[in-house]
Amino acid sequence: MSEKFEPNIVAFLCNWCSYAGADLAGTSRIQYPANLKIIRVMCTGRVNPLFIVNAFQQGADGVLVSGCHPGDCHYMEGNYYARRRFSLIRELLEYIGIDPRRIHMSWVSASEGAKWKDVVEKVVAEAREAGPFDQFRRNKINW
Amino acid sequence: MVDLENLRTIAKETISREDVKYFIGWREGTYGFSVSPHFVREPAEADKLIFSPLCSNNLATYLTLAEKLPVPRGQEPDTRKVALMVKGCDSRAVVQLLVERGIEREQVVVIGCPCQGVIDTKKVEQLLGQPENVVRARWEKGKIICQLPDGEKEFIKEEVLAQKCLKCRYPNPVIYDILFGEKVEPWCQEEDFQEVKEIEGLTLQERWDYWQEKFSSCIRCYSCRNVCPLCYCEDCILDRLNPTWINRSVNISENTAFQLSRAFHLAGRCIECGECERVCPVNIPLMKLNKKLSKAVKEMFDFEPGLDPEAKPLQASYRPDDKEDFIL
Repeated sequence: MSEKFEPNIVAFLCNWCSYAGADLAGTSRIQYPANLKIIRVMCTGRVNPLFIVNAFQQGADGVLVSGCHPGDCHYMEGNYYARRRFSLIRELLEYIGIDPRRIHMSWVSASEGAKWKDVVEKVVAEAREAGPFDQFRRNKINW
Repeated sequence: MVDLENLRTIAKETISREDVKYFIGWREGTYGFSVSPHFVREPAEADKLIFSPLCSNNLATYLTLAEKLPVPRGQEPDTRKVALMVKGCDSRAVVQLLVERGIEREQVVVIGCPCQGVIDTKKVEQLLGQPENVVRARWEKGKIICQLPDGEKEFIKEEVLAQKCLKCRYPNPVIYDILFGEKVEPWCQEEDFQEVKEIEGLTLQERWDYWQEKFSSCIRCYSCRNVCPLCYCEDCILDRLNPTWINRSVNISENTAFQLSRAFHLAGRCIECGECERVCPVNIPLMKLNKKLSKAVKEMFDFEPGLDPEAKPLQASYRPDDKEDFIL
């Protein structure tokens, strides 16, 4: 393949912090890689670990879950639950042989447009290093 | 030695109580190794009860499997208790169910049976080199004696015990109302997670290949889910069609997603009774997945499920200072 590999990354952003942070990065005209497909959720606590598995099945090369800093959650404690869940699914996916460089979580608040850029750059760079991830992709059935 | 007379007396007394619906125990199976669950409703039926190294079934499953039919108008639902025989590992399942309020404490009478370890039938068959018709087995002085068609055969415990029993730290029930038999001395003090560490030592690609080979044989019979005492959601994501979390087609992608979700749903809940692995018709080492999560839970949150009925469920609680070194 002569074309350069561009990773496909699914990002689950919480409505109150990270989504607003990404919005701020946009309105501040901060340039960051365009590999992200952003899905807005109300809280990181909404992110079922199966979302991550499903994203990989549908052809994602990396997944990012991003929410408010601990203590800042709009729903008081949603990100604490998300953190526990995420740390476990991350261990499990790594155990069955999925590169941990594909799975990320971050805290980005609504005022951290610059941090958002750094996070995305890191996530994209790591997913690029890990390479395309086809092994887990769901078979396309051709009826 | 197991005093069966005593067991049957306990059962008869329990089932005669007015507030007990039925008594769940084990009885001899109809063929070979199989021991089947026995539901005692009348005192006379209690004479079939046994407790032997073949009783590997985890009966705690039946607490949540019982069908709750709608009650006809004008009738009261049957709120009587269920009496249940438990080994050490099964009792942890009962505790975990209490923690999750899958059952209430006043709904069960727990008959604790200290256990010296159960047989893995596959290991015996391997030792004998052929499928054997072991009808009975018993513990005797640290050994296990199996009754074969051509007489008795003695086995060293380590040779035939199920893998989960070799590393068992809770041979005595952690919760019980009535204790049947003498408490035994635990033979393993600490879990070393040896099998998990072996896999963790492999490279990513080797791990992926290892698990893909195992998962590719999965036929999605869902036995592992059905037998699990802690898989009792009335609306299971595996059955649900809208949204379809996991497609029904049997292919490597869906199998992997199924295995991941099954294992993950037991994260911080699995009490390591090993039933899923025992019933798996294609011998997927499911306990290696479960143990990995137990290890992670132990290391990250210093938590072990199924020990304290007052504990909070792991994934429904948090500590502000949980580890977060992986967060960007």
